[in-house]
Amino acid sequence: MTATVETTPNRFAPRRKRGPDFLPYVAGGLTLFVLVAFLAYPILTTMANSFAPAGEALNWANATLDNFKRFWTSALYQRALINTLVIGVAVTVLATLVALPAAYFVARVDMRFKPLILSLSIIPLISPPFIGAYAWVILFGRSGILTHYANAWFGLQMPPIYGHFGVILALVLSNFTYVFLFVQGALSAVDPHLEESARVMGASRARILRTIVLPLALPPMLAGAMIILIEALGEFGVPAILGGEMYVLSTLMYFQIHGYFNLNAAAAIALVNVAITLIAIVLLVRFNKKRKFVTVGSTTRRAARHTGLGIKIVANVYVWGLLFLAILPQIVILFTSFAERWPGTLWPLQYGWGNYQYVFSRMVEPMQNSLILATIATVSCVLFGTLTGYVAERKKFAGKWALDLTIMLPFILPGIVTGVALLVTFNSGPVVLTGTALILVIGYFVRRIAYIYRSVVAAVAQVDPKMEEASTVAGATWGMTMRKVTIPLIAPGILAGAIIVFTTLISEMSTTVMLYSARWKTVSIAIYERLESQEIQAAAAIGSVAILVTLVLVFSATKIIGKSMSDLFS
Amino acid sequence: MATAELLSQPLDDLKTFEVRALTKVFQTDEGAVTAVENVNFTIEGDTFFTMLGPSGCGKTTTLRMIAGLETVTSGSILADGKDFRRMNAFQRNIGMVFQSYALFPHMTVFENAAYGLRLRGAEQSVVTAQVQKVLKLLHLDGLAHRHPSDLSGGQQQRVSIARALVYEPGMLLLDEPLANLDAKLRVEMRDEIRRLQKTLGVKALYVTHDQEEAMAISDMIAVFSKGQLMQVGAPFDIYANPASLFVADFIGKANFFPSHLSNIAADAAQVRTRSGATLDGVALKSAAANEADWFTKAEDGLLMVRPEKMWIAAQKPAQSDIALSGTAVRIQFLGTFVRYLVETDQSEASVIIDVPAFADGVVEGSPVHFGFARTDATAFKAYAQ
Repeated sequence: MTATVETTPNRFAPRRKRGPDFLPYVAGGLTLFVLVAFLAYPILTTMANSFAPAGEALNWANATLDNFKRFWTSALYQRALINTLVIGVAVTVLATLVALPAAYFVARVDMRFKPLILSLSIIPLISPPFIGAYAWVILFGRSGILTHYANAWFGLQMPPIYGHFGVILALVLSNFTYVFLFVQGALSAVDPHLEESARVMGASRARILRTIVLPLALPPMLAGAMIILIEALGEFGVPAILGGEMYVLSTLMYFQIHGYFNLNAAAAIALVNVAITLIAIVLLVRFNKKRKFVTVGSTTRRAARHTGLGIKIVANVYVWGLLFLAILPQIVILFTSFAERWPGTLWPLQYGWGNYQYVFSRMVEPMQNSLILATIATVSCVLFGTLTGYVAERKKFAGKWALDLTIMLPFILPGIVTGVALLVTFNSGPVVLTGTALILVIGYFVRRIAYIYRSVVAAVAQVDPKMEEASTVAGATWGMTMRKVTIPLIAPGILAGAIIVFTTLISEMSTTVMLYSARWKTVSIAIYERLESQEIQAAAAIGSVAILVTLVLVFSATKIIGKSMSDLFS
Repeated sequence: MATAELLSQPLDDLKTFEVRALTKVFQTDEGAVTAVENVNFTIEGDTFFTMLGPSGCGKTTTLRMIAGLETVTSGSILADGKDFRRMNAFQRNIGMVFQSYALFPHMTVFENAAYGLRLRGAEQSVVTAQVQKVLKLLHLDGLAHRHPSDLSGGQQQRVSIARALVYEPGMLLLDEPLANLDAKLRVEMRDEIRRLQKTLGVKALYVTHDQEEAMAISDMIAVFSKGQLMQVGAPFDIYANPASLFVADFIGKANFFPSHLSNIAADAAQVRTRSGATLDGVALKSAAANEADWFTKAEDGLLMVRPEKMWIAAQKPAQSDIALSGTAVRIQFLGTFVRYLVETDQSEASVIIDVPAFADGVVEGSPVHFGFARTDATAFKAYAQ
């Protein structure tokens, strides 16, 4: 090597001056402001106002427990509380029981079309649940299709679909996927050496299942059950449509606000609802903490699978049957959307595109609104979620737990509670936002920022901090390093999160129902209104459009980031 | 304003780089931890300067403070007398190579190497020419359009060196750059790094925990222990004249014999080993201040001898400055020499003896005699104020 480089030290240094690097402080300050103003402040205000008399804000003199008294005095309140608990527990237990065999079969039985099964299983998760709920009325209602045939052919009397039965059925079938996906993933990933070493020691198949496989599946099962419980305790759309005379806390809140506009009473119910949710989470987390183990996979070999014909038949019948039931509401809605004339008869009298023509000529505005609101909220989530996620993962600072809690709280809060909180806070006082598009955007932002935050935290953890240091030493400012190194590397994670956020927002129901106004009606409100006014076919047509748009978006997300659909939710 | 004007001028040829009383205190949950304490050194010209020490000794923290990646608790870093910390990254003009390479996985080899130049706003023609020159220098010519994930570990390390050298830095910082390579490649790369450094005439500040690597590559070595700089010197210097027990022990191998010191003069003393054998006029040094726990109560000195300066035999020789006895517990044939491990009550640890050929009549388990010449031994006394 004889090549020499003649060095004129620092000949590449730019001559222009460079000011101090303020960008990280500006970005950090702005994020802190947004989190405090739109997250911490509304939650604290709601808590305070639940102790104030109806129509007033809390001050030193007027603190009262009146808003909570109804839980002792009113039968309606007591029944709503009991219904919420019963439905929450029943849905969680049933959904878990239904999901476990399916998870075991898919993970451990030699089945075909496994990727398809996993993809189909998330359809109930991403479709708007309340429109699916109405499908059960079409099937099992008083003049429902299946009610008729069950009676005509077998002489069976179906239980009334309105009330506990319908709500629990709809919620179980739209939520079991969480446990199914989590447990299935864990069972597929278990190091086969664990079971092999048990077999070498002489354990029978049943004993291995009982002592090794099930204990390993327990933590993911509880994690999934926790999400189901949170969803079931806070769900508004399904009990609103299938509850009939039966109230739960979320519909009671809606009743208090739309019936009496009693914000303080709603705040009190919200507080009780949140308390129940938090207690449930604490119990589950504590139970799960005792059984935390990491299985270190030392091999890429998959777990051994059953190949017997008998178990294959059982597995296929069970899994496909469950999937069919779970997707049935979406199929029914799609079918209904093509029914042009269905005047109370058993089957429609005429089929065609009429409902879609009606929807696309008369209901463009709700669709536009949904798109606009969801887009703005998603962009804000991406912006601030990325910043906070990055800071939380990279920087050490006091009070990090507070940041984590502030962001993750709305994640576990029922959507309708977030709606009530924003309504209580911004209905009067220094900043009035009720009736604006902004309050909807804030509501969406607050509820969904955790998705981006979590995927950014996970993505940043994968990026070697030395890469950023290499960039800094080479002369880059913080902004340049973010733009050229960090953001490109975490972009797939952000994008996946953004698409999930966007798709869940275009058909968002439980926060919207508290915050919408005549000018800013969204797709979900339009569907709800059509269902209320018995324009079922029109509602089904918008619902079908929403389902389709959602599916296309999620599918393209999987293509962009090269993950399977079910991975997006795990 | 005057200072700001001054600092916006790029740094001219960096002649002297100084670290003065550098200290770093980390605030942890368990309280304050001093990672680096009062470190001083100077690097002149194109010296290859290595910071050597076991993990957690503060060498990497020192390097990161110099790179501007860690705040300085107190002390100063001076480039030709000017405060290094008040300069921006372009004026400091340093290149840095990381143990994990830290290559940007979404950029090609070319774009990785071009990164620093692009930040400096260099024109495309300059970027192309300079990157090609540096890639050629590192034998990476044909790989410009590959991505880092398609390269071997050695190639990735070359790319990270290319990225650090492309804007012709005044100083190159290397943080254990060879730790992730296999043994053979490590030896090749260390020679190449030194060749490049001398060709380019750039200062190098190198961090490693591998004393053999440090000896092979460096002009000067700074030995760190527990956040303190124990000794700075040329490789031979610190081996032959260790200023402390830690340096004697860490650089190469050393045998220590607890001994009693008497007739203590400024630089010599009479030494009596546990067996009662005495040596007159042994070179005497003082251990470092934080090395009090090396000395047991019974003896007040330690006699240090290098393994290759010792002899071993089955029979006690007729003539010798000192002869001690023990049992050979292990004999290792290491190619160019034979290593004997001897257990004896003369020392707390096994005595290591390296000789060019097998000693007649010595097998594992046999009683042996061993010793050394008076002039090859160094006595250490405990530090006194």
